[in-house]
Amino acid sequence: MSQTSSSSAIHYGTTKPPLWRNVAVLKWCAQLAVLLGVLAVFWFLIAEARTNLAAKSIPVGYDWLDNPANFQLGEGIQTVDTPERSLTMSRALWVGMVNTLRIAALGIIFSTLLGVLVGISRLSKNFVAQRFSSAYVEGLRNIPVLVQIILWLAILGSLGKLTPDTGPIPGWVIVSQKGISLPRVFLADGFYQFAALMLVFVVGIVAVRRQLKRRQDRDGGDLRIGLWTFVLFVISAAIAWLINPIMAFLGPIFGAIEDAWGAVPQGAMQLLLCVIAVVGVITWIRKFLDSKRSPAGLAKLTDDDWFRMIFSVFVGVVAVFVVVRGWPGLSSWIINSGSDFWGVLGDKFGDGRGAKPLDAMRPTLTEGRFVNFGDTGLTLTVFYASIFLGLVFYTSAFIAEVVRGGILAVPSGQSEAAAALGLTRAQALRKVVLPQAFRVIMPPLGNQYLNITKNTSLGIAVGFSEIVQVGQTVYNKNSQTLAVFSIYMIFYLSCSLSISSVVNTINRRLAIVER
Amino acid sequence: MSIADQALTEDLASRDDMIVCTGVSKWFDDFQALKGVDVTVKDREVMVVLGPSGSGKSTLIRCINRLEVHQEGSIFVDGIELTNDTRNIERIRSEVGMVFQQFNLFPHLSVIDNVTLAPVWVRKKSKVEAEQKAIELLERVGIPEQAQKYPGQLSGGQQQRVAIARSLAMEPKIMLFDEPTSALDPEMIAEVLDVMKDLARGGMTMMVVTHEMGFAREVADRLVFMESGEVVEVGTPEHFFTNPREDRTKLFLSQIL
Repeated sequence: MSQTSSSSAIHYGTTKPPLWRNVAVLKWCAQLAVLLGVLAVFWFLIAEARTNLAAKSIPVGYDWLDNPANFQLGEGIQTVDTPERSLTMSRALWVGMVNTLRIAALGIIFSTLLGVLVGISRLSKNFVAQRFSSAYVEGLRNIPVLVQIILWLAILGSLGKLTPDTGPIPGWVIVSQKGISLPRVFLADGFYQFAALMLVFVVGIVAVRRQLKRRQDRDGGDLRIGLWTFVLFVISAAIAWLINPIMAFLGPIFGAIEDAWGAVPQGAMQLLLCVIAVVGVITWIRKFLDSKRSPAGLAKLTDDDWFRMIFSVFVGVVAVFVVVRGWPGLSSWIINSGSDFWGVLGDKFGDGRGAKPLDAMRPTLTEGRFVNFGDTGLTLTVFYASIFLGLVFYTSAFIAEVVRGGILAVPSGQSEAAAALGLTRAQALRKVVLPQAFRVIMPPLGNQYLNITKNTSLGIAVGFSEIVQVGQTVYNKNSQTLAVFSIYMIFYLSCSLSISSVVNTINRRLAIVER
Repeated sequence: MSIADQALTEDLASRDDMIVCTGVSKWFDDFQALKGVDVTVKDREVMVVLGPSGSGKSTLIRCINRLEVHQEGSIFVDGIELTNDTRNIERIRSEVGMVFQQFNLFPHLSVIDNVTLAPVWVRKKSKVEAEQKAIELLERVGIPEQAQKYPGQLSGGQQQRVAIARSLAMEPKIMLFDEPTSALDPEMIAEVLDVMKDLARGGMTMMVVTHEMGFAREVADRLVFMESGEVVEVGTPEHFFTNPREDRTKLFLSQIL
């Protein structure tokens, strides 16, 4: 056989195909064509929208962001113009975003807790728990979430009227049709000294913990590490509460850093940013090449790999250009805000700070409603509560199914093997079943987190001031529909991408090694 | 009965009982998997359970460490009765090791973590001590160099040997084997059987469900033949392979040999 192949003189790869049939060339052209095509489509859409809007004399742009809002928000970190801070359009949209994030973050936490509980109890051998959680899941996931939210609003709206005597504890804990209000615990002046002192203590506790862990690994037995950590933490918190003013010496140090930072010349900052960009690109390429390297040597790079490396160099060049020529203000902005940051930190540690790290404010009422800004309690309005409860219950039903599916996906042989080794049911669940179930649960769980974040926009139905509701008020006032929608899109996109990247990172960590 | 058989029978009779099953019955819904099974395994005895599929051999050994719950009769393991008492179940499980047909290693843990999991969490051993013991056991089953790998990176035979090491790490008095070589490629069966023979020579009490007749003939002290949930015949290898008493046993052996 070898004789025939050498004698017939077929040497693979010696004949070069013409360019239009060469796969390598065609691939490159396709990459470029797709890139140009996408750019062209965007260019066309933007230009078209601009001409049409100009023809109808609808202004396009973001200049209006600094205009005063001239409307009130239902709730949030700022609801009206105040002497200290005026409520501009951009500020109003920011308040809406914060409200959205508050609902989304709390919703994710609570729906996960509830969902895991219901999902596990749906698999339990306890008849009552199993039936109850089945009914829970089937009931909640088959009613539209919008209906549930409005139902919660109706239920909460039927609570008693809000008067100064409304209880359960008038003046402290109030439950009414306007919402639920509790005393608000806030960070008082002494908090920063307290936090700095706690940081020192925590370092010590971690060291003790590590020592205990080492001893337990060496000698066996159970040294109750968790309990000791908790006790030490409580004791050091109590000590820090009493002696926190001793940390005031940090104030002048931060002040000195503020001055030093402010004195950095702009050129030096530009140089630093350029160096960061260049080093970043080089590190990325080196890591990329390392990932292609095996013990057998560097793998043959594909066209796609070359494209990625050239693209990263391009990004680096653009970054350097932006820093030096395109936006010189960036470096002075970094210098100023960095200096401001240390300045603010220095002020927090300044002299004359009270010794109390935390303090509480009680609910305040005016004309049958809660004051929701300034010196008042922590109020859960009925609007917040209805969207929150609606989303949490609805999403938890789906999460319960995801968790149940994940646990069922672990072969029964796994828990049998754990049982045969003498592990208790709880140990088997914690050490063997859940770590494997988690791997199956994580991707669909991420989807549920994305859903809950996007479903917060249903707040518009009950008048909760989340980003969509605020944005609607904005474009009803100034007709900047496109601009507002572009803000929506960027906001939701960055939320979703952040969640996805966290979920993907966890997924990579959990991957099971095979071959 | 030959003289050698007689001697063995007398020797066994003088030893302690390790597993005593009396009238054990078990139903899956309306199907009766075990019909009043009586089996006794003595200390340091290797008992091989034979029988066609569906004859209840796996169900029987799964009842012995309570992976299945028997509904009638009694099971005593090393003098402890298997009842609903969770303390008895825990004590029995920590004395009885089990090796499965499908290995059932924990795929998210490395080999060494598979072996140390139970000693650390059930026996409350220190991690260092458990790891030393684990390395010794992996050497005993012939794969110390795979300690840091994950089960998915090993061959079937290596996985099954890790599974044996994992059971031995609990220092059991009794080992149950549920068709340990049935899921293996032919060339890997020998390496697992060698480990089992080694264990038997070391004096471990073993109850083995297998179709490996060579192993049964060479290692077993006694064999049990089961069919449709009943014990048909109990005897020494010599008795089984030369002169079985029951027709059902003869039929089965003629099919399998």
